[in-house]
Amino acid sequence: MVPGAVFAQSTDPGASAFIQKLGDQTIATFADKSLSREQAVERFRALLHTGFDVPYIGRWVLGRYWNQASPAEQAEYQKLFERLIVDTYANRFVDYSGQTFKIAGTRPEAGDDTTVTTQIIRPDGPPINADWRVRKAGSGYKIIDVAVEGVSMGLTQRQEFASVIQGGGGQVAALIQALRQKVGRS
Amino acid sequence: MTMASFTRPFIRVAAAVMLSLSAAGCANTPDGQDGAGISDPIEPVNRIIFGFNDAADTILLRPAAEVYVAVAPDPVREAVHSFIRNLVSPLVIANNLLQGDLEGAQVATGRMLTNTILGVGGLFDVASVAGMKDEEEDFGQTLGVWGLGSGPYVVLPLFGPSSVRDATGLAVDTVADPLRVWAYANDSKNVLYVRTGVSAIDRRSQVLKQVDDLKRNSLDYYAAVRSLYAQQRRAQINDNKTDAAPEFPVFGN
Repeated sequence: MVPGAVFAQSTDPGASAFIQKLGDQTIATFADKSLSREQAVERFRALLHTGFDVPYIGRWVLGRYWNQASPAEQAEYQKLFERLIVDTYANRFVDYSGQTFKIAGTRPEAGDDTTVTTQIIRPDGPPINADWRVRKAGSGYKIIDVAVEGVSMGLTQRQEFASVIQGGGGQVAALIQALRQKVGRS
Repeated sequence: MTMASFTRPFIRVAAAVMLSLSAAGCANTPDGQDGAGISDPIEPVNRIIFGFNDAADTILLRPAAEVYVAVAPDPVREAVHSFIRNLVSPLVIANNLLQGDLEGAQVATGRMLTNTILGVGGLFDVASVAGMKDEEEDFGQTLGVWGLGSGPYVVLPLFGPSSVRDATGLAVDTVADPLRVWAYANDSKNVLYVRTGVSAIDRRSQVLKQVDDLKRNSLDYYAAVRSLYAQQRRAQINDNKTDAAPEFPVFGN
């Protein structure tokens, strides 16, 4: 194999630098024991919005049902989705604190996207492969999906949400109701 | 490498021809890519079995795994895990060969020899330390490599998420399992019951956090597990060489 021949496009070094920085900041946030859990989650929420294109992910996850939803439903869905994501990831990061990660490589994707592959090093088991799909956004970058050991978080949510909608007679309202119940508290 | 890349397409074609003759009926439902993608025609039945499995997990397996983690120190649990994995290594080797993955078969053989001899009968995973990675291979994956689609999703009682293809694979692996063959020949089936129990607790103990997390954060636990299963199997069949990532269009507003 000719070195480099597999890459039709060159990979974007900025994308992996972006993941490195975001990862370091996230680990620092949850390692900072002077913060209460609420403060850590609040800081994480800010990081999440710096790092992830949450509105894009929300719309992508809704898939073909996005166009079926009314503007009011779209707006409420996006608000609830954001809360769900913050809750989910904040819980995850709190649970998994104590882990470190290293960048394993980058891979160009369709469009201007780059996948940054990382290994999450755990104290109590073999490393986990996490792939971050990064899209250029203005002068910076945003994550639009994460795949852990080949399992895409976005796709999992998309299929899950589709199931909720189908179970509710094909109505997006059914999903919004379920989301309200999940994240509506407090 | 050269050998593998030469034999693999040939084996695949031969196998695909064989299978298309024998299994034309159940094959080739594409693994789901979009929202409604995973074929699940018996969803109501699957949901009932899933609920039963979940109850059995909550009452029995999860508590057992928790006690196991609390009581057994890390090195002991690692030894148990290595030992169980080593017992199935003949199946891993065989499936690698059937997939035409000679490199994989070589690594798996190296692992078995290293761990059996240097790792004291498989108690220590010396091979992983030496950089020989433990890949899970089973006959369901082999069928997938041969080009057989997953077929409809099925939830098996106690075994959990599966598909028509993977359940077939599981049956073949079970019959071909060397320990089972040995146990039947020597009239010591108790060994199998012990292995099954220990193996279940070992597996469960490794995903305590992950399963709790998924249950807590999902709106439809059943659908989330179904999606995870389909994606995970696809990744395993490709040996984690990512192929068909979903599409991420640019949305105009």
